[in-house]
Amino acid sequence: MATTTSSVSVDQQHPTSRGSTLREIKRNGWAYAFISPFYILYAVFGMFPLLYGVWLSFFKWDGISEMQWIGLRNYTRLFADDIWWYAVYNTIWLFFGATVPQLTIALILAFIINSNYIRGKDIYRAAFFSPFVASSVAISIVFLSIFGSRYGLLNYALSFVGIGPIRWLEDASWIKPSIAMVIIWQWTGYSMIIFLAGLQSINAELYEAAKVDGARTRDVFWHITMPLMRPVILFQVILSIIGAMQNFDIPVMLAGGTQSSAPGGTDRAGLVAMVQLYWTAFKYGEFGYAAAMALILFVLILIFSVIYNRWQGRSPTD
Amino acid sequence: MTTTLSRRRFLKIAAAGAGGIGAAALLAACGSAAPQSGQSGGQAQPAAPVQGDKVVTEITFWWWDQVGEVWKEPFEKAYPNIKLNFVNTPFADAHDKLLTSFAAGSGAPDVASIEIGRVGGFTAKGGLADLLAPPFDAGSLKNDMVAYKWTQGSTSDGRLVCLPWDIGPAGIWYRTDIFEALGLPTDPEAVEQLIGGPDRTWDDFFAFAKQLKEKSGGKTSLFADAGTDIYGAVYRQQGEGYADGNKVLIEEKATRPFQLAARVRREGIDANIPWWGAEWQTGLRDNAFAGMVIACWMQGGLTREQPDLVGKWRVVRAPEANYNWGGSFMAIPEQSKNKEAAWTFVKWACATPEGQNIMFKASGVFPAYKPAWEDPLYDEPVPFFGGQRAYRWGTEIGDNIKAIFRTPNDLQLDDIVGAELTKVLQDGKDPVQAAKDAEAEALKRIPDLQG
Repeated sequence: MATTTSSVSVDQQHPTSRGSTLREIKRNGWAYAFISPFYILYAVFGMFPLLYGVWLSFFKWDGISEMQWIGLRNYTRLFADDIWWYAVYNTIWLFFGATVPQLTIALILAFIINSNYIRGKDIYRAAFFSPFVASSVAISIVFLSIFGSRYGLLNYALSFVGIGPIRWLEDASWIKPSIAMVIIWQWTGYSMIIFLAGLQSINAELYEAAKVDGARTRDVFWHITMPLMRPVILFQVILSIIGAMQNFDIPVMLAGGTQSSAPGGTDRAGLVAMVQLYWTAFKYGEFGYAAAMALILFVLILIFSVIYNRWQGRSPTD
Repeated sequence: MTTTLSRRRFLKIAAAGAGGIGAAALLAACGSAAPQSGQSGGQAQPAAPVQGDKVVTEITFWWWDQVGEVWKEPFEKAYPNIKLNFVNTPFADAHDKLLTSFAAGSGAPDVASIEIGRVGGFTAKGGLADLLAPPFDAGSLKNDMVAYKWTQGSTSDGRLVCLPWDIGPAGIWYRTDIFEALGLPTDPEAVEQLIGGPDRTWDDFFAFAKQLKEKSGGKTSLFADAGTDIYGAVYRQQGEGYADGNKVLIEEKATRPFQLAARVRREGIDANIPWWGAEWQTGLRDNAFAGMVIACWMQGGLTREQPDLVGKWRVVRAPEANYNWGGSFMAIPEQSKNKEAAWTFVKWACATPEGQNIMFKASGVFPAYKPAWEDPLYDEPVPFFGGQRAYRWGTEIGDNIKAIFRTPNDLQLDDIVGAELTKVLQDGKDPVQAAKDAEAEALKRIPDLQG
């Protein structure tokens, strides 16, 4: 279809291909009827809000009054909004400070648990996974006690080695590391289970062959495990990028509007993008502006995912 | 984390505590994990079941304190043809939920509660019925209500959409057990002399706070946090509100409170424990602070969460001026299908001595309805305050405080000033500059405002 004359054939083909799709749908009508609960629900509760969000981002709307078309003004304002970009910075900081270490630790743990040197694997698996099951609110309340400046467990422990007391959730330079620690603690087990599943799908003969050839554990890890794990890691990283950009509950509980005077705590150091978005919509009543934030966030997630995909997504046989 | 500015923060963490773990526990004001009296939500019940030969109308009432249940029995006894369904809506999202139901066009309760921090937003928008127009008749109640509350509940075009419910007379609370252990007098009159007599200033108060800390060898402060105790009080004494209509007042309102709070933190007068969280709870039990600058509604939560301390508290007026902290309104959404029954309840709860005082006795929620104050209850000794006759002074505050301004931008203004307050207290930022920066930030972020 590269030639100019082909435009005719495109025009001719279009209706036929559309017709054939319709015919296919008709032919498989029952199948579509049976899967309709999914796509109808998705259209109503998934697709519609998504598209409506895009539409909304061109309006000024407080949630009750008439919507007012303002074109791209939400976006021009957003690009000059220093608090928003600081919130985005904090979010990306937390991706590198929490999600990257979390994935690294999870991979190492999965490798260790998968090895033959460990007994009672199930116990470790359950133990590492359990934080993921706990509710974020409960986790935050526990960690609020741990991070307490005066009566906190962490400062109590540190006092024995002569450190502290650190004001974990009040000192602007410690808020993000504190949040990162909780995220790592909560999510490592989950990533580990996914990695473990990936590891177990690697053919054991490859390891045996490497052993016979005299490879050390480190070589096995870098030259056999890692290349074969690439699809699993890619999946996990993309999911983590999406999750990290949407971090909400832990930051809001530790540094959000619940405890401090303003969302994000001291100097807004713990303010992440989703928290700013939520506050903008529901507290400040600027739904259109918040919808623009959501769209920007979506674009950022897309960019990060594509970059990572380009960098690491090649097939392992390349 | 230092500074909690307002009652809504307090209630928010309460809601956080609803997860059930006792850490955020004081918070009972938000009635934590108690089973909700109706997951059924706020839909008005169009059905009118018949009991005997009476037609029973059901109304739904949203509030964020489990104590709301105490109204059910006496109200249904007085009005047997109305059934009151109280739904405990955690404060953190009670107002957002109401807003969502307006946007969605359904789901609102028959009677909603709106707090002082959010009232500016709700009076500026649609969704709530005008209580001055039929079938309602709130107009006759105007002279019985605390004046500033009436203004706050009214829209700019003179409709009344939020009926005043309660006020928050605030003062200094202190604990007699700690004062006694430190060899200080515990009698309210003697303590008033200690903190500077009838014409006391914040300086006098801080001087006493320093003495107390020295006496305890540095272990006990007079109050927990420069942000909540001092900033919160000094700011509200000037009349709450960072904007009058479109005119920003941040520099005018925030500079002195910033300065006093900064001084308290710098000189180590406060315990530097953030309010409402687990630290604060532990600090209270550990005698890390001997008092607080707080409003009367604190009584309900403290009674439930720290029953050992009931009777050990005393209250005296704050230095310099009386002031109000917190307070709520009741409103009837336009969506309600049972407006008349809803109005019967709202009127009974907010505008009869009976309804108001049932709640006051149960929780310390102080009526904005002045005739309720004629009850002998207000001159009787209060067990929570160790037999001190602690309520009459609250009634004097009602009409004698500086004007409070509410605007649709209150939440954002609170957050802008709050962010600067953290810098003042945590990073030692210059208070005067911080107030200037907050004002500039507000002007930049909220296009409607003018300097």
